[in-house]
This record gives sequence, C-alpha cells and structure tokens, in this order.
Amino acid sequence: MNLWMRQIAGVLRLEMKKTFLSRRGWWVYFLALGPVFLTLGHWLIEIGTHGSGRHSLGEDSLVFAGLFHFYYLRLGIFFGCVGIFSNLFRGEMLEKTLHYYYLTPLRRELLVAGKYLAGLATALFLFVGSTAVSFLLIGRHFGAGYTDYILHGPGLSQLGSYVLVAALACIGYGAVFLMSGIFFRNPMIPAAVVMVWENLNPFLPTVLKKISVIFYLKNLCPVEIPIPPPFNVMVIDADPTPFWIAVPGLLVLSLILLIYSGLSARHTEISYGE
Amino acid sequence: MAVYKKTYRPYDGALTPSFTRFLVIPRYAFEEMRKSRFLTIFFIASFINPLVCALIIYVQHNASALNLLGVQNAGRLISINTTFFMNFLGWQSMLALFLAAFTGPGQVSPDLANNALSLYLARPFSRVEYVLGKMWILIVLMSLMTWVPGLLLFMLQAYLEQGWTWMQANTSLAVGIFVGSWVWLLILALMALALSAWVKWKPAAGALMFGVFFVAAGFGVAINGVQRTRWGHLLNISALIGSIWVQLFGANPAENNGGMFFRMPQGQELPLWCCWTALGVLCLICLYMLTRKIRGMEVVR
Repeated sequence: MNLWMRQIAGVLRLEMKKTFLSRRGWWVYFLALGPVFLTLGHWLIEIGTHGSGRHSLGEDSLVFAGLFHFYYLRLGIFFGCVGIFSNLFRGEMLEKTLHYYYLTPLRRELLVAGKYLAGLATALFLFVGSTAVSFLLIGRHFGAGYTDYILHGPGLSQLGSYVLVAALACIGYGAVFLMSGIFFRNPMIPAAVVMVWENLNPFLPTVLKKISVIFYLKNLCPVEIPIPPPFNVMVIDADPTPFWIAVPGLLVLSLILLIYSGLSARHTEISYGE
Repeated sequence: MAVYKKTYRPYDGALTPSFTRFLVIPRYAFEEMRKSRFLTIFFIASFINPLVCALIIYVQHNASALNLLGVQNAGRLISINTTFFMNFLGWQSMLALFLAAFTGPGQVSPDLANNALSLYLARPFSRVEYVLGKMWILIVLMSLMTWVPGLLLFMLQAYLEQGWTWMQANTSLAVGIFVGSWVWLLILALMALALSAWVKWKPAAGALMFGVFFVAAGFGVAINGVQRTRWGHLLNISALIGSIWVQLFGANPAENNGGMFFRMPQGQELPLWCCWTALGVLCLICLYMLTRKIRGMEVVR
C-alpha cells in the first residue's frame, strides 16, 4: 500500500511539473481568470464612481449567483476540465510519450489515479481559487458593509457553498473527461455530447435529470437562478436532491468512472501511427 | 540517356488555370472526408430540418393534407414568414458550427505539424490560394447546410403561394438567407482555419471553436451582469449575427430579435454598425493569425 501511494505521488509530481501552469494551457487560465478580472474591474469602476448607489449588495450577490451558474458551471469549469483532463492521456499519445509511463513497473490504475490527482489539483487551484477571489471582489466596493456581510451575514456560508460546488464540479467533470481522453481519439465529440446533455438538463424528465453532474451541483448552490422566459415554460421541476445525497452521490459517481477508467487503462495498447 | 544527363528539368505539361487552382485542395479533401462515417452521418442528419420545414410548407398549402390530418386550423399555427426562415437558418447555422468545429481544425494543423506547407508553396500555388482552397472545403459543406436548402424552401413557398408575386414581395427573405448565411460561413471558416493554424492538436482547436463561440458569449453576458451594461454582447458572436440577420431579413427589430440560437436579447440591442464592426474585427484577427502562420518557412527558436 505504501508503495502504491509513493508511486501515485511520483506520477503526481511528474504531471504537476509538466502541466501545472504550462504555456500550453493558456486558454484554461484565461477561463479561470476572466471573472476575476471582471469583478476586479467592477470594484475599481465602482470605487472610481464613488459608489454612486446604482445597485445594492443583494443585487451583487444575485449577479454573482448568475455568474456562477451560467459562466463557471456551464462554461468555465466545463471547458477548463475538458482542456485539463482530456489532455492527460490524449496529449501524451500525441507527443508520443505515453509508452515511457507504460514501460515502468507501475500499475495502470495508479497511473490513472496519479494523473487524475494532478489534473484535479490544477483544476481546483484555478477554478476554486477563481470562484473565491471573484466572490470576495464583487462586493468589495461596499467596503465595511461587505466585510460585515461576509463575516456576520450569509456571505461566508455562500462562499463555502460556491467553493464546494466548484470543487465538486472539477471532481465530476474531471472524471468524465479523463475517461473520454482514454476512450476517444477525439475527446471533442464526447465533450460536445456532454455539453448538450448538461445544458438540456432543466428540460429533461426527472429520471433523466439525475444522470448529469449539473443537477446535483445546482441544488447545492445557495442562490437559485430561474431559467429566463420563454424557455421557463419548458422547465420540468424535480425535487432537489438533499445535501447528504448530492455530495456523496457525485463523489461515488466520479469514483466509479475513475475505477472504470483505471480498469480500462489496463487493456489499452499504444498505436501512435493511428 | 546517361545518368549524368538526368539533371533538373522543369515540369513542361499543362498547368491548371490559375483561377481554379485552389480547387485542387477541396478535391482531395472531400475524398478524405467521405471516409469518415461520423461526418457522413452528421452531414446527412443535418438535412432532417430542411425536410421537416419543406413538409410544413407543403402541408400549409395543401387543404386535403390538412383535412386528412384533422388539423384544418394548423395554417394559423405556423406562419411561413420571416421568423420561420430565420429560425430555420438559426438551426442550420448551429449545425454548421458543429461541422466547422469537427472538420475545420483538421484542415491546416496537419500541414503545419508535419512541415508540409512548403510542399504546397513550392509549387505554383500561392498562400492566398492555399487558404482559399482550405476555406472552400468548409464553405461548400456549410453552404449545402444553410443557404442552399434555405433558398430551396423559399422557392417552394413561392411556388405554392403566388409564385413570382410572392417572391417579389419577399425578396428580403431570400437576401437574408443568402447574405446572412455567407456572413456566418465566412466567419466560421476563417475562425476554424485560424485556430487550426495556431493550435496543432485538432481536438484542442475544435474545443477552442466552441470556446470562442459559447464561452465568449457567456463571458459577454457576465460582463453585462457585473458591469450593468449591454456592451458585453460585443463578445457574443451569436447575438451579433442575430442583429445582422434582423437587418438583412428586413424584420421589425421590435417584434423579431433573430433566429433560433442567434438572438440579441430584447432591449439590449447594440447599434448595427457596432455589430458589423465587431464581426469585421474578428475576421481581421483571423486573417492576421493566418498570415502569421501560413508561411513557406518557419523560424524555430
């Protein structure tokens, strides 16, 4: 067991050196940093205009909820995970370096685990960090009022929920796209299918809703954002999943996908010529 | 002939006329594409919507068919008007985006990744012809999905309505379908080639296509939300295209804000010149990216 842990740590170290903040992933960093710059700009503009009272703190909280639902969950984290996790195996295939790993006395399951953890560390650093910083910046121009909102109001619990949801999204989507990177030559096709499926979620029947990552994540968000008209008439309501089912459920689902990826990786063969 | 006499001799056969030379690239590319089962199925599936629309137009004008279906009042349910054609174009244009994202990245990146560009450019074949040839592949495929069936539907409607009179009264629809499609196709083709030239891994280039389209739109909405403005829509290509379509189709902006997937939210409209300028700037950026990468030689540092 100790050997396994050391081997996973070895793969993790190697992968972090190769991929963490590498130049190739510039667009993933842009996805994560975009909202940070946006909220920073908001803070600076509002300070510049001496907080002309155009909006309230509650409105900013609602705007952040919209930003989180429609940007982070559906686009930023989704595409970020496509970029990070699909690349873990497929990128090595393209660079013709995967066989170096396969020639080492290392179980394939451990290689999958090590690579997943490396991708997860990057994704968590980027997206959870970005979520937290954006949340802290969006209402910064309210000064002491915002500090009070965070420390003595619902701010801290909201921040905790957003951070948790962002982390779970990275875990869930990470497992999905690691698997697609192993199974598909072009991970864009499964990514497009998953994207359509996840975005159709509000309109799906209750049973089908539950076969998606976004369904569990949405229920964990502290502020609900309704679907705008005219699409709201097509929304099918489903009972929200309780916290104690949603979080372990998503973790178990990710674990199952990872185990399946690990077992499948045992039978993979390299053919760089294809 | 003695071996020592076998020196360089230039090709002295007939040359392809210079104005059709760029078509050499699509000729081979189409053969290659036909081998992809996924692409073939996707391409065929993209004609389901035009068929359904043709059926709707036919049923609308066929009283006996309406009676047979027991929906005599269906004529009032779906009107064959600007909204109908714009929605048709919107759906088909979205499929064209998917097609461009799947096929576009494979156009230039293999030539660059394998240093094969010099093999093209060593022949009497210019960079412009190379780009034109590569664009032609996408434009032909996407044209068959967008304006070609659109104009056929237009003609079907004209034939079943009052013929020439209806056509004359609704010229703006045909103009909208044709010009509106070409605006979208040019942007897609340029974007696909530019990303393909800069990102050598095909799936990553495909992801970037989606990224530029969906993430930029989402980011634009985020800008609008956070800064309480409407200028974030300048990043939303679909909203910009929607605004331009409204103009080209001659629709009333108060009643119609674009086609399916390509809408500018009501009340957040941008001046039309801004939409045209934003798309023009996007095209220029793509052209600049292509100019930087499509070269017969590359300095590797």
